[in-house]
Amino acid sequence: MSATQLIVIDTPPYGDWRGREALDMALSLAAFDRPVALLFRGEGVNWLRPGQEGSAISQKTVSRNLGAARMFGVAEVYADSLALERFAVNGPDPEAEAVVPNAAFYGDFSQVVQL
Amino acid sequence: MTDHDATTLHILNKHPDHTRFRACLDAMAPGDALLLIENAVLALADVAIPLPEVTYALQADCEARGLSAHRPREVEQLDYIGMTHLTDRFPRLISW
Amino acid sequence: MSFPERNNEGFLEDAWQWDESVAADIAAESGISLNQDHWEIIHLLRDFYKQHEMSPPSNRLFVKAVKEILGEDKGNSIYLMQLFPGTPAKTACRIAGLPRPTNCL
Repeated sequence: MSATQLIVIDTPPYGDWRGREALDMALSLAAFDRPVALLFRGEGVNWLRPGQEGSAISQKTVSRNLGAARMFGVAEVYADSLALERFAVNGPDPEAEAVVPNAAFYGDFSQVVQL
Repeated sequence: MTDHDATTLHILNKHPDHTRFRACLDAMAPGDALLLIENAVLALADVAIPLPEVTYALQADCEARGLSAHRPREVEQLDYIGMTHLTDRFPRLISW
Repeated sequence: MSFPERNNEGFLEDAWQWDESVAADIAAESGISLNQDHWEIIHLLRDFYKQHEMSPPSNRLFVKAVKEILGEDKGNSIYLMQLFPGTPAKTACRIAGLPRPTNCL
């Protein structure tokens, strides 16, 4: 088991604040150099769809916000492979590693946080 | 667009995994139309969701989510004025 | 052109209303006269905002972003504090016309 904390985002990118708050939490951990990873699961994979334009509904484009995560030290970004397929997300924008979030996957993290 | 006399326009704003999304689809009668707005437009990306033959989506919500340029399935996308005109044409509206 | 609209803490309401003369005026309010070193950071922040549609959310992440782009010589809090006194992320974002960093007190 690594010391990395996993932050899970399973809510759609707009119209729900939980995903933004979870991203904010990940960035805050990264600010203090705590090892942190992100997992997009279920409807959360829609965060990763290319071509988003939040300005159409007067909001910031979350995929661009997410693009800052790596610069701030969020080393790993994962996405649920079945959900990517279900919602026809063909990234990479931004890049994420497709995984199967099973017990073995979660077992690799010291803590799993889901808002 | 065809004439929608005596049918219902269902306006759905819930994300596909919300229980009311399924409730809306289950409540649709033959000839009813569906208008997807807000997070309901994510259904356009999931081809396994059985959308009715007459389905519309609000363009701004599609654009925000990256579903305007590359869309996995074709439905007519409306701007806000088009949405208003659409609602005018139905004798009955249900907002889900 | 009239001065762009600002909130009660002096941050621009609309980052796209910014230009260099606006920056100079906002800096002057804090007694800062902008030189090359300031402009380097200001343009870095503008580029960051264009790409990510957000300000670095905290002072630590501001320092981290500068370090990532310009290296350790400039990506440290002492250097940035000298250029942008107070809370460097807030002062620099205010001058660069960006929204208030969300996690700065």
